[in-house]
Amino acid sequence: MRRQLRSRRAPTLPHGYRFRLDDQDEMNQNYLADEEEEAEEEAQMVAMPNLEEEEKEEEQKEEEEVQDQPADNTWWQKLQLISEYLWDPEQRMSLARTGQSCSLILVIYFLFYASLAAVITVCMYTLFLAISPYLPTFTEREKPPGVMIRPFAQSLNFNFNVSEPDTWQHYVISLNGFLQGYNDSLQEEMNVDCPPGQYFIQDGEEEEDKKACQFKRSFLKNCSGLEDPTFGYSTGQPCILLKMNRIVGFRPELGDPVKVSCKVQRGDENDIRSISYYPESASFDLRYYPYYGKLTHVNYTSPLVAMHFTDVVKNQVVPVQCQLKGKGIINDVINDRFVGRVIFTLNIET
Amino acid sequence: MVGGFSILLWIGAVLCWIAYGIQYSNNLSPSLDNVYLGVVLAVVVILTGVFAYYQEAKSTNIMASFSKMIPQQALVIRDSQKTTIPSEQLVVGDIVEIKGGDQIPADIRLLSTQGCKVDNSSLTGESEPQSRSCDFTHENPLETKNIAFYSTTCLEGTATGVVINTGDRTIIGQIASLASEVGNEKTPIAIEIEHFVRIVAGVAISIGFLFFIISVSMKYAVLDSIIFLISIIVANVPEGLLATVTVTLSLTAKRMAKKNCLVKNLEAVETLGSTSIICSDKTGTLTQNRMTVAHLWFDNQIFRADTSEAQSNQTFDQSSGTWASFSRIISLCNRAEFKPGQENVPIMKKTVIGDASETALLKFSEVISGDVMEIRKRNHKVAEIPFNSTNKFQVSIHETDDPGDKRFLLVMKGAPERILERCSTIMINGQEQPLDESTAEAFHTAYMELGGMGERVLGFCHLYLPADKFPETYSFDTDTMNFPTSSLCFVGLLSMIDPPRSTVPDAVTKCRSAGIKVIMVTGDHPITAKAIAKSVGIISANSETVEDIAKRLNVAVEQVNKRDARAAVVTGMELSGMSPGQLDEILANHSEIVFARTSPQQKLFIVEGCQRLGAVVAVTGDGVNDSPALKKADIGIAMGISGSDAAKNAADMVLLDDNFASIVTGVEEGRLIFDNLKKTIAYTLTKNIAELCPFLIYIIIGIPLPMGTITILFIDLGTDIIPSVALAYEKAESDIMNRKPRHKKKDRLVNAPLALYSYLHIGLMQAVGAFVVYFTVYAQAGFRPSRLIGLRVQWEKDDVNDLEDSYGQEWTRYQRQYLEWTGYTAFFAAITIQQIADVIIRKTRRNSVFQQGLFRNKVIWVGIASQIIIALILSYGLGSVTALSFTVLRAQYWFVVVPYAILIWVYDEIRKLFIRLYPGSWWDKNMYY
Repeated sequence: MRRQLRSRRAPTLPHGYRFRLDDQDEMNQNYLADEEEEAEEEAQMVAMPNLEEEEKEEEQKEEEEVQDQPADNTWWQKLQLISEYLWDPEQRMSLARTGQSCSLILVIYFLFYASLAAVITVCMYTLFLAISPYLPTFTEREKPPGVMIRPFAQSLNFNFNVSEPDTWQHYVISLNGFLQGYNDSLQEEMNVDCPPGQYFIQDGEEEEDKKACQFKRSFLKNCSGLEDPTFGYSTGQPCILLKMNRIVGFRPELGDPVKVSCKVQRGDENDIRSISYYPESASFDLRYYPYYGKLTHVNYTSPLVAMHFTDVVKNQVVPVQCQLKGKGIINDVINDRFVGRVIFTLNIET
Repeated sequence: MVGGFSILLWIGAVLCWIAYGIQYSNNLSPSLDNVYLGVVLAVVVILTGVFAYYQEAKSTNIMASFSKMIPQQALVIRDSQKTTIPSEQLVVGDIVEIKGGDQIPADIRLLSTQGCKVDNSSLTGESEPQSRSCDFTHENPLETKNIAFYSTTCLEGTATGVVINTGDRTIIGQIASLASEVGNEKTPIAIEIEHFVRIVAGVAISIGFLFFIISVSMKYAVLDSIIFLISIIVANVPEGLLATVTVTLSLTAKRMAKKNCLVKNLEAVETLGSTSIICSDKTGTLTQNRMTVAHLWFDNQIFRADTSEAQSNQTFDQSSGTWASFSRIISLCNRAEFKPGQENVPIMKKTVIGDASETALLKFSEVISGDVMEIRKRNHKVAEIPFNSTNKFQVSIHETDDPGDKRFLLVMKGAPERILERCSTIMINGQEQPLDESTAEAFHTAYMELGGMGERVLGFCHLYLPADKFPETYSFDTDTMNFPTSSLCFVGLLSMIDPPRSTVPDAVTKCRSAGIKVIMVTGDHPITAKAIAKSVGIISANSETVEDIAKRLNVAVEQVNKRDARAAVVTGMELSGMSPGQLDEILANHSEIVFARTSPQQKLFIVEGCQRLGAVVAVTGDGVNDSPALKKADIGIAMGISGSDAAKNAADMVLLDDNFASIVTGVEEGRLIFDNLKKTIAYTLTKNIAELCPFLIYIIIGIPLPMGTITILFIDLGTDIIPSVALAYEKAESDIMNRKPRHKKKDRLVNAPLALYSYLHIGLMQAVGAFVVYFTVYAQAGFRPSRLIGLRVQWEKDDVNDLEDSYGQEWTRYQRQYLEWTGYTAFFAAITIQQIADVIIRKTRRNSVFQQGLFRNKVIWVGIASQIIIALILSYGLGSVTALSFTVLRAQYWFVVVPYAILIWVYDEIRKLFIRLYPGSWWDKNMYY
């Protein structure tokens, strides 16, 4: 039927024209003047309502097809695809590349990274040529100085029982270890005895070795561990050493050395009835300043202030705050509880 | 808000809270950092989700404003009283009354009619009005004359009918539900983005778990390892990207709306760009949708008339005496009239009462002869027989405007051969001559030539009635026809066509060069369809159909090798007998195809055929019946002017001016946006490595953390957003309409070269540059690199407040923390500065940035400025807000990385140079994304 229509229409002869021209001159009237056209139209119209059904049928077919395919089949296919991607034996390709292309990539990347590495090496090298190894470029970050105490055993809470040496023995060991560097003999051998009350300024090139002032262990008197090897822990009168963080070039105010004072942080002031400070001035002598840096100021020993808590309330937690006092010292930074102050608790049981 | 990156971020957020929970159960006062981070991540997910939704909603709103649905009313007879009720309250069995202009409120069977005509075009695609009567004429409900369908309009006359179907059970409702059954396919861009998300998520998860295992085996606490995992995920996920893509698409959608393409579904913006086949309607889309006089034949000569939109340029010779008579007949033998009150409207835009052909003639003579109404007034009409399908002519008798001539003038127009039959003379050069064999032959040749062009031909003749037989007082009776209707004087032929829009041939050529196949699908006659297809270039001048070849070689159609023919004209009749395989064969073998006489339903069949060939198909449509095809197509384009609401609802895009050329500009925009999205994604992916490396280095060699998770979020959602959107404004690098449409499977949005180049080249360079800044900051503060390695554990201990640096200085925890934040800020600054270089190099993929013009895209510079300003605000404005972990950065640290930024630029220029120098080479294949 279709063929027939086609072949009849194909030769564009006057004959064929009749039909077309006929319906052209209808002037918007009914189109269906010609029988053949009508038949055609009819066929279309009939086709229309069927479409929906056909569609449904098609859908069903599709569904069936999907169901027919076993699930592992697709997985298997996927797996095959992946393995083919990894290594395609036919074209001798791995990761969809030939061996040549692969090695070319390796070479390019090697060159690229080698030159990148070269660039970064050169940069870092020049950077460190530019930065002095003796003196830091900027020091304002660590100013004002922080404060730390010894003994320090991962915690700032001192809990011990006087009658049980096991509970305080590690403090003694820690302090002894810490004070090894302060032994009088060592200090006398390595360091100079410089005049107190003034800066120990050593002019000269920055790479020159600097001398350090003696800070002898014996300065700490009762807390030196020389007379009382238990640093008072065995009697419930613990010694705690306070140390100011080293900062290159830091100088306390002239004639006004930094002092240490401790008190109960919160609670009854009378929980601590007496503290002895060693050295007795409770201050860091000016002669230990300024610090010239690790590389040249090799034997520099940080000055210490020992606090001997000779009479503290027993069997209760006493929060203690030790502050640095002096001009240029800040001890009330909210975010940093170790700048110019240190807070720890004492809980001495008997 | 679920799916893709959001899932990853949700996982990150949940892990954060779990980490906090573990910390909380171990330790009574854990820091709230993890909770904050979790909350921030959740907020990011929700915000981007809300943002995307808002953007979508905005474009949907434009649509909503489009179809202001006026509640439909129906005049119904209930309890023997006429009442007006909303049409949704109609029930089966209601008697409704309809008059001209009404929309039919339901499917109704007509009980009585008076000259009722309906426009079924929205349902069947037939543009001619259909007369309705109460006679049952056909088994098929669509065919029979006594049923009027829901949503069609009654054009004239009145009718009464009984409701037989309402709502979803109407024919239209069934089609609409068919449309909703056609599944919504994923748009190509959605597939691409999914693919991209899979790549990034794959990278994120695999690196995350790799380093989770590494960190666990390096004896990190499991909790820490979880936190590393979160950070790696956060660093890897481009949080801002989906929002950026949405903005980019909606910017393009806006630009397209200005060019008359209103995009309903944002993703469709790109779909149009990857279109490889456009199935276009003819009427209104390719053509002007109005009959226009195209050719005239008189004095044995064919004249061309101007068919452009304005018709201002009628150049044919009007000096002949024949033309004077001819133009008078055209003016007089015409019932169409201009609607009053349109004096200032250009002639072509005036509204006319009358059918399409008469309108065309009226406007034609108005343009040529001046005021037609005045002419008609001067030539008073005394009698008239309107056109009918039995006579196939129209006659009117007029008094002439020559006061000395008392004769009546009879003018007639109609089907040419019927007119010729009634003529005995013919006017040549103003002189009446007897109609002999040779002139009749000339007539037939002309008639056939005009008909062969697919035009509707009319013949015109006239006769001066002798004054003695027809005195002034003669009363003409149109029923008995007491006047002569034969032995008339033939004057000429006139042919009309719905001419193509003037912009269409250009647009079709553009499609050609862009590798897009344009298929015409029309309900029109094959000859007309083919003629229009030829005139707009859908069938190019030198290509032939099978039938043409057969005719040329003078052999039967069956003997022609179908593959020799480039063009094919397939009728709906042929189509309905075809199997899908046969259709596929036609679609694959012919590059120029016209489907004629097709019903709108067959469009679906054609669309499915194209899709089986792997094409991305755009389909235009206006009728309700088109909606399944519109929905099935990858991008359905509804006509804004002539389209029905159903079509607009089913479509992804609405063409505001119904013009095919607008589709082509849309294609151009779509392709551009695909390219630009590549650039945006490449830009966004690059910094991921620079964000990721800090964690990897931190885990492996134990340096203080170079950059925090919050800082990463500030880059992804702060500094980088505007530049990546700005890339959407980039102009095309070369003529994007000169290349093939992208292959759905091969030309991916994110391909291996793009990922590798972004991650392993530029990304690594950025990371290196940023680490140089990081080490500089630490070294100048006191921590030289050698000291940093392995310092992590001591560094992060809260109780260590005298940590020694390279110079023997001691640092409290908070001082170190502050330095760490400075490191974050420096790293952030370094990435920001290098991202400036990155956005500049991403302007182009092949051309040099200088060829593209550094300053042509101003928005890029706005983006760069925003980047710098945001970074400065973060560092100097919010440097004191500890929660954000930014600090006030020394001015010089901003510039440390500048050489690296320049290096990136230079490196990319070299890459592009090699690509340009050696197209198709190994370098091109591996380095061009």
